[in-house]
Amino acid sequence: MKKIFSPRFLESVSVRTMLIIGIIQIAIFLFIAQVNGNELLPKPTGILNSSWKIITGPGFLDNFFATLGLILKGMVISITISLAIVYLALIPAFKGIAIFVSKLRFLTYTGLLFVFTILIKDGSDIKISLLLFGIIPYFVTSLLAYIGDIPKKEYELCYSLKFSTWKTLYEVVIKGKLHLVLEVIRQNFAIAWMMITSVEGICMSEGGLGTMMIKSNKYLKMDDVFGVLIVILILGIVFDYLFDVMKVWIFPYTDTTRYNKLWINKILRR
Amino acid sequence: MIEYKKEELILSVNNVSLAYDDKPILKDINMQVHNVTRPGMTQGQIVAICGRSGCGKTSLFKLLSGYNKPNAGDIKVGVDQHDVKTGEMGVVPQDYPLFNHRTIMSNLSLALTSMKGKEKIDLIKQYAEHFEITDQLDKYPCDLSGGQKQRVSILQQVLAGNKFILLDEPFSGLDTIMKDKVVDLLLKVSNLDEMNTLVVVSHDIESSCAIADTVLVLANKNNEGSTVVKTYDLLDEGLAYHKGIKELPRFREILSEIKGLI
Repeated sequence: MKKIFSPRFLESVSVRTMLIIGIIQIAIFLFIAQVNGNELLPKPTGILNSSWKIITGPGFLDNFFATLGLILKGMVISITISLAIVYLALIPAFKGIAIFVSKLRFLTYTGLLFVFTILIKDGSDIKISLLLFGIIPYFVTSLLAYIGDIPKKEYELCYSLKFSTWKTLYEVVIKGKLHLVLEVIRQNFAIAWMMITSVEGICMSEGGLGTMMIKSNKYLKMDDVFGVLIVILILGIVFDYLFDVMKVWIFPYTDTTRYNKLWINKILRR
Repeated sequence: MIEYKKEELILSVNNVSLAYDDKPILKDINMQVHNVTRPGMTQGQIVAICGRSGCGKTSLFKLLSGYNKPNAGDIKVGVDQHDVKTGEMGVVPQDYPLFNHRTIMSNLSLALTSMKGKEKIDLIKQYAEHFEITDQLDKYPCDLSGGQKQRVSILQQVLAGNKFILLDEPFSGLDTIMKDKVVDLLLKVSNLDEMNTLVVVSHDIESSCAIADTVLVLANKNNEGSTVVKTYDLLDEGLAYHKGIKELPRFREILSEIKGLI
């Protein structure tokens, strides 16, 4: 008992213990929420009912795929643009662009919404543009940090093997750090997932999980609002897990022990 | 007495000095390495640079590799004695960096650009057997021990065709058995080609001297920057290439002298 209330550094707590701790904590939280539930903060049973109704409801899949489609489109474009900016940053003439884009993360898009609306007429395009505006600066910042942290010895190894500058760029920065790109994608997917609800409010006719929530908010259906929030949270956690698995599966060198035990490999080996 | 000849100059360090922010690190370093030939066999060269930790060995290593430039003096390599260029020397640093995203086979294949296809694979496998890393070829660097990584790192430089290979502390952190294995491996590498020249920078005096034909002792006296305080020509001394060199009285004497100098 004493062990779980004192700092642990080298010894890890077993999965079973952590699971028990987690279950107890969730149970306490749910109990408090159930006892103290009111109009504004609905009771867990109400949220659970709403979540179930939302998932089994007729429009859920359409809304889910509308959100997923938007987020994937936004991510693909963001990744392409960000990678181009970051890789070009290794050429001194283009480094300034990357630094400038990275600083844009301090701008809030609320102030620019009007400009976006005037410049881009189509609602769907506005949503994508806002997503790009929200994701790219973070993506560029994270990637620049990773690239900046590449040890000098990796470049020196390339020199000693007589690689050209371009081959060094490809081997060390591009190919050698692809797993970090996926990690950055994973982190930014969370940001995009968080942004999606507000972005979807701009053009509600296209539907989406964000639209569902905004509509429920409008009519003060708090059970439904929290229901959608729970669905979004669970989906976010599932995607995060899938990204993590994908990283180990595509790039086994990041964790060869985990790679050998990975469930995808077990299925494929059958 | 072993028959040998010192032929053309292949590496020279002339009055090299280095300082960081007015703090002298190296002062007036001089050394010369000649191609050693022995009748009826391929004989490379091994130079050991010995000194205490923090005496500027790694700084000298960086200068020799061409990664850093000295404040004064020059380093010339090859028979034509041209200034050393970045990437001209094979380098095996202390922590043996490899491409972590590639398997060992792929790491080695990347170094050997002069060949393609099956011929290339066969040659790598052949070398891998010599270097005792055959079982590791399909693994990633993260699954290798320090000693295995070191062997891959050395082989990578050999396959890249580097005649000059600089090794920073190759005996660091190894037990006695592993040290002997590394000694054998380095001797093997040096004798792969007549022009192969290994420069071993180490604070492990005994192991590095045991394989060297020339020993340079680096020491920092009076805080003016480290310099070569003594050079031992183990060929002239009749010690180089001796199987049981570590047991020879003169070798033990030299080790004591070096310990006194540093």
